[in-house]
Amino acid sequence: MKVLIIEDEPALRNSIQEYLTHQGYICELAEDFKQAIHKVNEFDYDCIVADIGLPLGNGLDVVKELKILESKAGIIIISAKDSLEDKLRGLELGADDYLTKPFHLSELNARVNAILRRKKFDGNTTINFNEITIKPASKTVLVHNKSITLTGKEYQLLLYFIANQHRVVTKSALAGHLWGDEYDQAGSYDFIYTHIKNLRKKMLEADGEDYIKTVYGTGYRFG
Amino acid sequence: MVKTILKPYMAPDTASVKFSLTVKKDTHSMKLLTKTMVYFLLIMLPVFTAGAFYLYTTFNKEIKHETDEELVNDKLQWMRYLDTATINNPVFAINTPEFNLQPTDKPVQTKHKLKGVSIFQEPEDTYAPFRQLTQVITVNNKNYQLTLRKSLIEKDDLIKNIIHVMLAAFGGLFLFVLLSNWLISKSIWKPFYASLDKIQRLQLNKLENTVFDRTATHEFNQLNAALNNMTTRIHQDYTNIKELTEDAAHEMQTPLAIAQSKLELLLQDDSLSETQLKGILTSYDELQRLSRLNHNLLLLAKIENQQYPVTDQPDLCTVLEKYLSLFEELIREKELQIHTDMIATAPWPLHPALTDILVSNLLGNAIKYNYPRGHIRIHISAQTFSISNTSELPQIPPDILFQRFKKQHNVYTNSNGLGLAIVKKIADSYQLSLQYSYENGWHTFSTGI
Repeated sequence: MKVLIIEDEPALRNSIQEYLTHQGYICELAEDFKQAIHKVNEFDYDCIVADIGLPLGNGLDVVKELKILESKAGIIIISAKDSLEDKLRGLELGADDYLTKPFHLSELNARVNAILRRKKFDGNTTINFNEITIKPASKTVLVHNKSITLTGKEYQLLLYFIANQHRVVTKSALAGHLWGDEYDQAGSYDFIYTHIKNLRKKMLEADGEDYIKTVYGTGYRFG
Repeated sequence: MVKTILKPYMAPDTASVKFSLTVKKDTHSMKLLTKTMVYFLLIMLPVFTAGAFYLYTTFNKEIKHETDEELVNDKLQWMRYLDTATINNPVFAINTPEFNLQPTDKPVQTKHKLKGVSIFQEPEDTYAPFRQLTQVITVNNKNYQLTLRKSLIEKDDLIKNIIHVMLAAFGGLFLFVLLSNWLISKSIWKPFYASLDKIQRLQLNKLENTVFDRTATHEFNQLNAALNNMTTRIHQDYTNIKELTEDAAHEMQTPLAIAQSKLELLLQDDSLSETQLKGILTSYDELQRLSRLNHNLLLLAKIENQQYPVTDQPDLCTVLEKYLSLFEELIREKELQIHTDMIATAPWPLHPALTDILVSNLLGNAIKYNYPRGHIRIHISAQTFSISNTSELPQIPPDILFQRFKKQHNVYTNSNGLGLAIVKKIADSYQLSLQYSYENGWHTFSTGI
């Protein structure tokens, strides 16, 4: 899977590249508008992560160019501006998702993952992790080919963990993923623990392995 | 660094502050027009009095002079007549107030004497003013004292009449001057009052529409030019600060994103010790807090700048249901009892993003500050929306209720003290009412269109 990262801040560009590469993607980089246009014209990508504010141009124009090229690539816009207009415009132009800076790398990765699944396989694929099989089309989860029943949040958690397998995922990233930006309005992260406990219990009951490891009480690692 | 950037946000609600030039009800101050009229009166009064006095004395003198001339004239005629009169002439027996001839031993006078005297008038029973001429003359080698008098009563009436006419004229002139002064002042000062009215209704965020027009008066043109200059400068400064805060907040997002991503990558390093990892996680969480803070401050600035136009009428009930299900776990975990009393739909004229924020902030607070097994009462009607919750916390003091960064309780570390300030800003910017009340352990926030 090839991902093009269009971002002018080298430090952020490299962080994204490092994280996504570790999750098995082949990453290419573009640091300004010209390079971005050149690369999308020259090569095929499965997914494009584009910053809006770029030297020599605008990330939204890269989206336009991709539409002219009839590219099948999934597009995620990242922007420092939490502007509804930009977001709507980006989605209108054909972007698949919009992420406001600062974001969790695990969240970006999960979104890249979801877009690729949707775009590439029209959602008709299974996600496999050892004995776990997930069928996103029907939202069913099998452990050792035995179906287990998960709540909506538990299902989302499992998908997020598998997308970010072997990585430490923080509680705030999990909370943000499950509840959106509003989670901080309501108090603590403690309730995440309940969901993780339930998910772990259901998998263990189906003779699955205990993949969810607590990292010093502040984060989790799957697998 | 952060502090200095954020500082402009902490300024009091600049946009909603009206320039209040109305002086506090001061009993010692009066309207400019009244004042000029009073001064005018005070100056004119002595002038008029002096004028009237001058006229009176002048007339008086003139009349005396005329009377005296007549008396002298009469004297000459009498002397001429007496020169030819015989000793038996009855004229020597006449004794009236007007004419009197008395034999005397006094020596002959070559010049007459004139003076004013008061003579008792029997019919009126009063003294009346007379001019009197006396001279000792010789008739047929005998000395006589000649006394001629003329009444001044008619002349006094004349003076009185003259004074009356003069006073009436002066009064008329006075009224005319007052009226014209009032009318002229009213039209002359009109541009001034127009400018004053404009300044009083000035709002910081609407300065660009304020223009002080040219007038026909030089001084007012100077004033209006200065005001135009001032409002333009204030508007520029205001826009600059607004842009600076917004830009600064935006610019902060990128370094925050970089720092956060680097820490997230560091977390993946297996070779780090537990202490190191914990340090990284703490930094990571604090960065989260910083970025949320930044996000909320940016939100406040955007609401203040009216960047959320009302284009839609989202249903408040739907929004509330959405957040009730989003916060479901929290409600369940605290075993809170939710009592709702809602009408079917309540479309509110508010930007959807702001409706979300309004509901999530108020509901979030009601959950956050509640105690386990507490209650939340929600009431939605077509025009009003109120949330009440039980809490162990005391009543919020009104002076810090909606202030930024005024946290009531430091126990809640993930509160940034901006939630209610944002709600308040939404209410202020979109003309919603917002009240807080406390009764028997129940905290209630209600808002209405």
